Amino acid sequence: MKRYVLVRALYSVVTLWLLVTIIFGLVRLTGDPVAMKAEAGADPAYVAQLRQSWGLDRPLYWQYLGFVGRLLRADFGHSFEKSLPVRDIYFERLPNSLKLGFAAFLISLALGVPFGMLSALKVNSVWDNAGKAVALLGLSMPGFFVGLVLIIVFGIELGWLPVLGKGSSAFVWSAPSTWAMFWFRDWGHLAMPAFALGWYFSGAMLRITRSGMLDVLGSDYIKLVRLKGVPEPMVVAKHALKNSLIPVLTFAGLNLLIMVNVAVVIEVIFNWPGVGQLLYDALSNRDFPMVQGVVLMSGLMIVLLNFTIDVLYGYVDPRIRLSR
Amino acid sequence: MIPGLLLLSITLTFTLMSYGDAAAQNAPILSGPLAKLDIKPAQIEGRGTPKGTLSIAMHFALDPGWLDPLEHSYAITQMMYDYLVHDAMVKPMPYGYVTYGLAEHAELANDFRRAAFRLRPGLKFHDGQPLTTADVKWTYENFKGAYAKLFHDKLEHIQLVDDRTIVFSFKEPFIDFMDLYNGGVGGIGWIVPGRYYEKVGRDGFKAKPIGAGPYKLVSQQAGVQMVFEAYEDYWRRTPATKTIVVKGIRDAAARMAGLQTGELDLAFGMTGKLLSRLMSDRGLRWDPNFTGPWWLMFPGYNEQGSPFRDKRVRQAVSLAVNRQFLVKQETQGISKPWGNWISPENRDALQGQDAPVPEYNLEKAKQLMAQAGVPDGFEVEYLPFPPYFDMGERILTDLRAIGIRGKLQSLEGPAFRAKIGQGRKGVPGNRTIVQNIDPRAGGSKANIAVYAVCGSTASFICEPPIETLWAKHQASLDPAERERLVKSIQRILLDEYYFVPIYWNSFVPGIGPRVLPEGKAVSKYWDTLNAPYPWPWEVWEVRADR
Repeated sequence: MKRYVLVRALYSVVTLWLLVTIIFGLVRLTGDPVAMKAEAGADPAYVAQLRQSWGLDRPLYWQYLGFVGRLLRADFGHSFEKSLPVRDIYFERLPNSLKLGFAAFLISLALGVPFGMLSALKVNSVWDNAGKAVALLGLSMPGFFVGLVLIIVFGIELGWLPVLGKGSSAFVWSAPSTWAMFWFRDWGHLAMPAFALGWYFSGAMLRITRSGMLDVLGSDYIKLVRLKGVPEPMVVAKHALKNSLIPVLTFAGLNLLIMVNVAVVIEVIFNWPGVGQLLYDALSNRDFPMVQGVVLMSGLMIVLLNFTIDVLYGYVDPRIRLSR
Repeated sequence: MIPGLLLLSITLTFTLMSYGDAAAQNAPILSGPLAKLDIKPAQIEGRGTPKGTLSIAMHFALDPGWLDPLEHSYAITQMMYDYLVHDAMVKPMPYGYVTYGLAEHAELANDFRRAAFRLRPGLKFHDGQPLTTADVKWTYENFKGAYAKLFHDKLEHIQLVDDRTIVFSFKEPFIDFMDLYNGGVGGIGWIVPGRYYEKVGRDGFKAKPIGAGPYKLVSQQAGVQMVFEAYEDYWRRTPATKTIVVKGIRDAAARMAGLQTGELDLAFGMTGKLLSRLMSDRGLRWDPNFTGPWWLMFPGYNEQGSPFRDKRVRQAVSLAVNRQFLVKQETQGISKPWGNWISPENRDALQGQDAPVPEYNLEKAKQLMAQAGVPDGFEVEYLPFPPYFDMGERILTDLRAIGIRGKLQSLEGPAFRAKIGQGRKGVPGNRTIVQNIDPRAGGSKANIAVYAVCGSTASFICEPPIETLWAKHQASLDPAERERLVKSIQRILLDEYYFVPIYWNSFVPGIGPRVLPEGKAVSKYWDTLNAPYPWPWEVWEVRADR
């Protein structure tokens, strides 16, 4: 097991190094940020000074070494566009994305899992058809559309909910007193973006829950449990649901990461100050350090999640660690 | 009798004292003949209690770098933050393009080799530290932003006469000094507290800037929001609004929704399809806010094989554009068809009878195309200023009527700016039409210097007659002659159709119901010349219900 964990850890490190190298190269193919920042007619001396202050006057290999060297000290460099350290800006935004991501995640679970179960338990009934319709709507109505409809109905017409931003609550890393309050305040601001984001994922969640439940409900051991005379609610809750949720939860974990890191469209529509919008701004302005920082942090989360899943699989199922 | 005499003597004493103050305020600093300066006095207004919160939405992400005048970019957007947190020696105000700010008196030697300023008495930064000429000198010497090299190359030395009097001496005549030192053009005139800057450093200053302007930064989330609070000791007046919240909201529909729900009081960039919604909403107001004119240019027009080499083709393009219809479609009729590519608010710009609106005449345009040997037209690349792609499509539709068929390239803002910033080199090929706008301050010469002379990095025009006039302009120390030369260059650019003006653009902001005064009187906030944003901010008033 120890060797297995070490090998997986090594794979993770190699994956991260590849990501570092690829993002460093790719972002530099997108154009010259100095030319984009300098206005027409800018003095060449000003342009040269800008290039120097951003370190873009050095050879590429030197920039790469500097970038990797700083990464080892957990320093992502200075944002070109926002003129402050990338790390400070990223960690200021991350709690907002986590709040939105978790809320959307809960909504997707709350909508997807019960409807999926109902669909599977009442297969080919009106309930199943309704569930299929919900899944279809979830997958075919993009989040931005749902978001705009919510804004028009609940924000503008009814005036029940605010349409912009996250409210006044802030998660300040240096002030622990703000940590708990941050999660439980400004729900009015959170409601619409979380629903719009969670809605899309709830459709997929519903389908996976339904198919998982159908597989499990048709299995031999469920038949045996029923033959033993166990009451149906117990069959579903204790035996079927527990087993059918394993793929659902794996899928949900990945969804959560996506919701936290790339909810760009929803963040832009609701002006939610998360990392998705940060990435969008950075890409538009060719803010190399910011793009690198955000992508690497997202990559790091995914690599860590995969590593954890691999280790847990290996722990739960010895065949996996032996075959790899 | 005695009380009467006493009263008379007190009155006389105060009269003489105030006369003495005024005399001291205007006492000369420099010896020798002086150049004539047209600097308007600052209007000192009343003290009061700031009230309410003004929520503003910008149409892009906010950059903390804008809070630091030392690294001032060429972008006019940065001045919005200059006007909030900082103050300049002289700056544009509603009552004059050059108005006294921190300085109460300025002089420029007749030979343009020396400039002098006297600061107002009792000026303080937000932290209570006095603002002195040492800060003015420190700002000049440490400035790294737009035009920095020019300012540093020209400078011979700075003399601090006392805490309020400063004299700049230049190695050679610096006729543009007052233009460029004006806060409406560059960053060097916005004064930064030297000691504080050195203490907190570059990043520290951007995170917590201190200035001498009407508002103090209270908090910021990089890119998202900045919160400013009134600096009640501001020298000119107490700011009317207690708190100003500036948010970066890129999505136009979100800005519109914010105005409609009352979460925003002022939103910029309400153009395109949203404009009709804004105008039809009874709860909201808007201002035409004219900025700069749109114009077309033809990169590589003077190269072999370019159809635009023939003046008649360029003229045909101008004749084929239906400006009146375009203005209706694009800006609900608010903008004005225009005959120059430089804003009439910019000094020395040709306008009115000197630059009439070009006619719309398809028949004549077709005749010219035929005379030029391209009766069936040709294919072009069309590069519109983002995100005005609809406008580009409409102009292309107009051009199709005379056979010019175009493929529209939709670039994002920074990529477009990068191309334009390189001038002709940034737009390869010689069958491209560029649709541009540049509400640049600093007089018409600033626009010419960027786009229409060979030496500029963003040059699109390189013509010997213009170069001759420009060389004379640069060598001249006579303002009247310089004005004539700048106008002559504009004449050539328009007569030869090197640049084809379209319309004077309105950059419409949406205004919520909480902003005072009510009704159309709110337009007073847009009175400052050559300003796309409604500064100064200390005069903005809102209802105190939030």
